[in-house]
Amino acid sequence: MGQAEWVTVPIATRDVEGPIYLSQDEWDTVEAATARIIPTDHHPGAREARVVRFIDRMLAGTQFVFPAADGIGFLKMTGREEAAWAERIEARRELYRNGMLELDELAKVDFGARFISLSDEDQDKVLEKLSGQPKPEPFTFDAPEDDGRVGAPAGNQPVSEDFLSFFPLLVLNTRQGFYGDPVYGGNENRIGWAVIGFDGPATLKSTMDGSYTTLKYMIPEAHWPYERHPEVLRYRRP
Amino acid sequence: MKIKKNPERVDVVIVGAGAGGATAAKVLTEAGLRVVGLERGPWLKPEHASGDELKYLNRNFIWQDPKLKPRTYRQNDSEEAVVTNFSATPQVVGGGTTHWGGMVPRMTASDFKLRSLHGDVPGASLVDWPINYDELEPYYTRVEWEFGTSGLAGANPWEGRRSRGYPTKPSPLSQIGRTFATAMDKLGHNSFPMPQGMVTEPYRGRQPYSENGFWQQYPDPGTGKSSVLISFIPDAICTGLYDLRSDCYVHEVLVGPDGRATGVRYEDEEGNEWVQEANAVIVCAGGIETPRLLLMSKSALFPDGLANTSGQVGKNATFHQYSFSVGLFDRDLRDPLYGWSGHYMSGCSFDFYETDESRGHILGSLIFPSNIGHPVNWSFPGRPSWGLAAKDADRKLFNHTMKIGILLHDLPVESNRVDLDPTVKDAWGLPVARITHTPHSNDFAQEKWQVKKNGEILEAAGASKIVPVNMERITGNTSHELGTARMGDDPAASVVDRWCRAHDVPNLYVFDASFFPTATGINPALTIMANAWRCADRIIQVDARGWTAD
Repeated sequence: MGQAEWVTVPIATRDVEGPIYLSQDEWDTVEAATARIIPTDHHPGAREARVVRFIDRMLAGTQFVFPAADGIGFLKMTGREEAAWAERIEARRELYRNGMLELDELAKVDFGARFISLSDEDQDKVLEKLSGQPKPEPFTFDAPEDDGRVGAPAGNQPVSEDFLSFFPLLVLNTRQGFYGDPVYGGNENRIGWAVIGFDGPATLKSTMDGSYTTLKYMIPEAHWPYERHPEVLRYRRP
Repeated sequence: MKIKKNPERVDVVIVGAGAGGATAAKVLTEAGLRVVGLERGPWLKPEHASGDELKYLNRNFIWQDPKLKPRTYRQNDSEEAVVTNFSATPQVVGGGTTHWGGMVPRMTASDFKLRSLHGDVPGASLVDWPINYDELEPYYTRVEWEFGTSGLAGANPWEGRRSRGYPTKPSPLSQIGRTFATAMDKLGHNSFPMPQGMVTEPYRGRQPYSENGFWQQYPDPGTGKSSVLISFIPDAICTGLYDLRSDCYVHEVLVGPDGRATGVRYEDEEGNEWVQEANAVIVCAGGIETPRLLLMSKSALFPDGLANTSGQVGKNATFHQYSFSVGLFDRDLRDPLYGWSGHYMSGCSFDFYETDESRGHILGSLIFPSNIGHPVNWSFPGRPSWGLAAKDADRKLFNHTMKIGILLHDLPVESNRVDLDPTVKDAWGLPVARITHTPHSNDFAQEKWQVKKNGEILEAAGASKIVPVNMERITGNTSHELGTARMGDDPAASVVDRWCRAHDVPNLYVFDASFFPTATGINPALTIMANAWRCADRIIQVDARGWTAD
């Protein structure tokens, strides 16, 4: 049975609120770490977006890899593709298991307590140590170009996370849980999108039936030569 | 593995159902030939698609899983190749036209005669195409109208003569397009609406794209984006003569004692092995998988791989590396760009396409502005990765970033090639493609100059910070795979003739971008389709007359 024939199973990442794969203790540790990666300030952060639930479902097995197109249910994977994903998830489970042990180990050595019981500031110091790099400084337009923590955007290509170690994987998964479609279990009430001003679709289905469109953010009245068109010439002039 | 009764012999078997294979299927079946199509990937339909960033960009729903279909890469012969997901390209019915951004500019007249224009460039294997622009022009027009495109005829001052305009008007302008057009104008340069594989008005039963923003890398659940999946494949199926079998992986092209191709051997989804006999075989598996299949098709008559007497199969590989400058705009000074609105890119320019040796290099590429991704994968070099600094950068800049990119017009170099990896096997136990590639010095010069120029355009547009993203090596990040079975008149120096028929095997053809003698600086799909149509016409008019009835 090929990928096009995968059936939809009527399950959702929100069928239960708490952990499916992680233990409660592991859940709490992952939640605390993600809350330092995207912290809460005057806007919600990873904790409010339920990023930990996203990560738990990602680790739970192949049942939550691919949602159905309309977001109602998940595809039942089969064959070689399913086996490859099972292997991939197993590798991530191991990274998370060992990574959480390391977090507690670092916390105990430097602060004499488990990671979850540390203050925000001390948790940051543990994560900084785990990352092997200084904690990122705020972005400024005049900072030198080689001050970065991360590289170029993917540009044109799918992204592989198969070769990441624990800390960069945790950072990427936190980002995925905060900014990915809510169907995966994070981005609760689309608060991740609200934080950055992405007016994303209410449902995946709305991207299929044409009811979701970004036209209002474009200038559809303008025609070529654009630079001479009145809609462009008077665009939001003070 | 069971051997059952093989399917009936047909006129033509086509390996692959992407731009090249689907065009050939349409043209041949509409002329009354019986065709079997074998596509190794699934037959996903538009209703399988939606705007789900994680599914397409991060979990690779339509790209090959590198655990199952790895490739290996090395810079040169002295290195050991390592496993990478080099040139990920959807292996599905519809091929690259499913995920693509649908950029469909035409080649310029000069692209066909680079050897005549530039002579013998040291280190490069530069050649002229055996055909010229005027020979391809009627087919460009046919594809633009049959496939469904949008654009504005005459807006590109560098384009050759065209016999007809586009069937639908240019796609709507995005804020990124506005920013690009006004900056180009400020610098005294031309820009114009990107010719797109999309319909922008009701056209032949299709409705315009919804502008849901999920365009580049996302298949369209509607009918706005043009793909062979919703155009040429249904056309071919309507004839009743196209039997398209998905999830069928061709392992070998078979040849008879007379040196003619007899068909192919393939494995279906259940692991059953079959032989499909045909009067002719057209290979359209992509510029990496096609040479791999030819090299795997070894026999007593063709010990070095099929159609490889010249030794050129797999060589002269070019990959159009995508490089760009990112512009970061200050939200206190500039209006939002809303990069996620529209269809990834908007507008383009050919002002840097033709050679100007005062730049210190030859050749050039089209340039075009685009967004830097949806929320998960949006990034720029120097972005803080975690903590409040990261959240702040996301908040301040997500709606205030864009990039201007190039498609490297890379020079063919004979030692840049695709061959069979001696040790790494895919999930079916077959040797994987190994890519050996080092860019020519002109590639680096061209890329550096243009990325810098693109930064100047962003500066003119009012960006507060410009971050160039230059290539260190070729990664295959455009999914453009070209030149590995080059077309030419000389059988000693090329794999296929001017009709894309193998010099060595009179009933074997290559219709994907493997035939490109030189890379061009534009997206190849329109040219693949136009050329496939041209060559399929030749099969109907000449070659098929010699086939005996089955």
